Amino acid sequence: MLKRYPTVRYIVTRGGWYFLTFLVAVTLNFFLPRMGKSNPIDIIMAKVGGGLDTKAAQAKEEAYLKEFGLVELDAQKNIRRSADGKPVRTPVWKQFRNYVGMCLRGDLGTSFLNYPKKVVDIIKQAIPWTIALQLPTIIFGWIIGNVLGALAAYRRGIFDGVFFPLALLANAMPFFAFGMLLMYLFAIIWPIFPAVGGYAGNLVPTLSWTFLSSMAYHYILPFFSIFLILAGGQAIGMRSMCIYELGTDYVKYAKWLGVRENKILMYMFRNAMLPQLTGLALSIGQMIGGALITEMIFSYPGLGMALLTAIQGNDYPVIQGCTLLVTVSVLCANFIVDILIGFLDPRVKAGIAGGGK
Amino acid sequence: MPIFEVDNLHLHYLTRFGAKIPAVAGVTFSMEKGEVLGIAGESGCGKSTLVNGCMGLFIPPLWPTSGNVRVDGESIMGRSPKDVRKNILGRKVAMIPQGAFNSLNPTRKIKDQAADMIVSHESNVDKKALYERLRQRFDLIGMETEKVLGAYPIQLTAGTRQRCVIGISTLLDPKMVIADEPTSALDVTTQKAVIRMIFDLLDKQIFSTMIFITHELPLLRHVANRIAVMYAGEFVELGTTDQVIFDPRHPYTKALMGAMLSAEPGQRQRKPVAIEGAPPNLAYPISGCRFAERCPQVRPECRVNKQEIRIVADRQVRCDYAE
Amino acid sequence: MKLLLNLLKTPMFVIGTTIFFGTVLVALFAPMMYHVDIIARVGMPYMPPGKEHLLGTNHLGVDMMSLLIKGLGSSLYVGFLAGMIATVTGTLLGIYGGFKGGWQDDFITLITNLFLVIPTFVVLILISSSLKEGRSLALIAGIIGATAWTWSARAVRAQSASIKSRDHIALARVNGEGTLKIVVKQILPYLFSYVFMVFIMQTASGILSEACISMIGLGPYDTVSLGTILNEAMRNEALGDGAWWAFIPPMILITIIVFALNFINTSMEGVFNPRLRK
Repeated sequence: MLKRYPTVRYIVTRGGWYFLTFLVAVTLNFFLPRMGKSNPIDIIMAKVGGGLDTKAAQAKEEAYLKEFGLVELDAQKNIRRSADGKPVRTPVWKQFRNYVGMCLRGDLGTSFLNYPKKVVDIIKQAIPWTIALQLPTIIFGWIIGNVLGALAAYRRGIFDGVFFPLALLANAMPFFAFGMLLMYLFAIIWPIFPAVGGYAGNLVPTLSWTFLSSMAYHYILPFFSIFLILAGGQAIGMRSMCIYELGTDYVKYAKWLGVRENKILMYMFRNAMLPQLTGLALSIGQMIGGALITEMIFSYPGLGMALLTAIQGNDYPVIQGCTLLVTVSVLCANFIVDILIGFLDPRVKAGIAGGGK
Repeated sequence: MPIFEVDNLHLHYLTRFGAKIPAVAGVTFSMEKGEVLGIAGESGCGKSTLVNGCMGLFIPPLWPTSGNVRVDGESIMGRSPKDVRKNILGRKVAMIPQGAFNSLNPTRKIKDQAADMIVSHESNVDKKALYERLRQRFDLIGMETEKVLGAYPIQLTAGTRQRCVIGISTLLDPKMVIADEPTSALDVTTQKAVIRMIFDLLDKQIFSTMIFITHELPLLRHVANRIAVMYAGEFVELGTTDQVIFDPRHPYTKALMGAMLSAEPGQRQRKPVAIEGAPPNLAYPISGCRFAERCPQVRPECRVNKQEIRIVADRQVRCDYAE
Repeated sequence: MKLLLNLLKTPMFVIGTTIFFGTVLVALFAPMMYHVDIIARVGMPYMPPGKEHLLGTNHLGVDMMSLLIKGLGSSLYVGFLAGMIATVTGTLLGIYGGFKGGWQDDFITLITNLFLVIPTFVVLILISSSLKEGRSLALIAGIIGATAWTWSARAVRAQSASIKSRDHIALARVNGEGTLKIVVKQILPYLFSYVFMVFIMQTASGILSEACISMIGLGPYDTVSLGTILNEAMRNEALGDGAWWAFIPPMILITIIVFALNFINTSMEGVFNPRLRK
């Protein structure tokens, strides 16, 4: 059945592969932070303890250990103890199993720093800001960057001569450096835009005009930090691809045929876009990473800030929760782009349908 | 009135350091309606360059130095690119490029590419009528229309793609067709199919005049009325097919014939003799005859005197000492 | 050799190499000419640039110039080391997979693609945050290299696979030359220029990665790098105070270095790939 519908087969193949990647990612997400030797409970103890006598401190520690699934429990949900009275630690693989179970139930654990707040709640608060900032920026940045790159490749001349070095510069600057620069120029030296936050500090999130306009105002600098660098990078790549396409045999032949210039440009654009889409799939991870760091710089109340606070405070559950979310988003985005490419490029479907690699 | 005239054409390549390399040095010939001219020569002798310069469209780094090309008495050099695109390309002169089977846009269906061509030359074209026209034409030239038109290039074999390209290039019934090595890199059966198609198109009067480029002389015997032999950017011999193949007068042509494997009766026992040496590097100025280094009949005067075209035994020969 | 001469004629290449080697020289030799001290507090916090301290002081009152020179060296070191690790690992895997083919190739490709999709940023954070102590420069370089190899593996594998199918290799095989000899005599010369470009890219990206990871606080624990300088600036409100000397110089340095490396790469691409010539 699958052989008869190359499209379906393609989607299923890619989907399966992404699922495998997802499994690997979840495993990595769990095991990598545990590479170090630190005992995570120490952090909470440091926050809460101090001043209590040892007996009470020990009891508290054990309560936390129990809560975070780090010790084995017996049938009555009491802590199982070894011969010398010490609690038996859950082996790592069991912790992993519990972790996966929890994730599937939608529970990403409890924050250390903001105990007893749940990780999911922290993320839920931050996510809308991140999506609102990153989604339009990445989409527009990508589209406009590619269009500019195509123009530069086709026009050459002065446009290319001025534009290309600028784009190279934009590409060399790390996301955050550019963000810092913009902030310094337009928020400190010329205080046109606000430097930090998602909205003015004295306001409370409501659907009022004041709030919304403040939000928009705070949106601008972070938006441009990401957008300009992203567009610059895309432009450079697209320019190379277009230059390549302009030299192909089929473009030459189209010229020999007397095909209109606009149509030839369309050929060039559509064919150059395909590797750009592939590149998009590969670099979405980087883009989101860079955008997150930009959020950190502007103290924008999105996932970036949540992550930064967690990192600085060693809040492992939150770190893990955020990274898992980011990884899943990247995988989903990749999957979508893969399907898009499959639809746009007949060679890909032919490759899969033919059974080739 | 000759349908196609090339008048002392000089073409050069512009390198990235600004140097001009003369690739075609003074080619002159003319063709009457209904004639098939074959151009033969070694790889790199300038055959493709020459015909690329006969379209009126110059793709860098190739540029015209001097000379003229006329189709139906009308000059096609020195006109605006828009004029060339609209009126000459596809209508007056059509090109079937080298490696045609790779010349199709991989992400576009055959019928769409063909449609693009027509739409670029005619205004107010009705989509349905256009596709009907394509279908009729492809039927006429013997392609499996339904299968081919709706397909992407990758779904077709090289031979089919080659024939598609021939079909597309001749959609507007051009006066003059240039076929640059249309059968190279194809297997023998496919080659035959391509040749048969070309003859079919000639029969059906879709076009009448053709330049056929190849490095295989025996092929030209079946296809061409006249043959021009090219070497290092110049024509060295131009005569009828029988003249050039069976009675060559220029030393290079003679050597070329001697280097051919021939299946002709009585010729099978003959061993092919390779031509020693390599063509001259056109980046450096050449004095005297360009073939002098490799000519078996070279004389000291050859290296000094530039050879001009003479008429020897009813055909053009570029050698002072040929007879 | 001819390629080298052609390269030297390209302005992009010359500019790029000059800038890059300029920074390397500064990192290596400046400490000899300028007293570098990243511990001593020599002035008030966030003193603006003046006669005594060309680039002012940081939030602790330490001389910025010293921090910058030391940081430059660290960042270059990490970038270079990470670039080496990523390139060597990726190249070896890529050559092996591309040339050997078969299930080895499939396996390597699978692993490579897997790690390509998982965002390296995430992996970097996860690993670094767990290693609280002992985050030395070398360790960070190792981590960056360990996450970046996928890119070079993929690129080199593609090149190897295409070289493998080229005619002159088949000829060598037919002539009975051993696999190792084929690899060394035929493949390596072709690959070398490509791998070199990959290495430059990896170094540039290594420097950027280090800056990123240090900036969010997961950088080297005991020493200074350009990224940590930026981190400190961010944490101590340098931007808000208008202390531009605390973050603009490191930013400029990072940008210039990466820019120079990109230039080198683009110019090499222009020379090796004739289609890019106008």
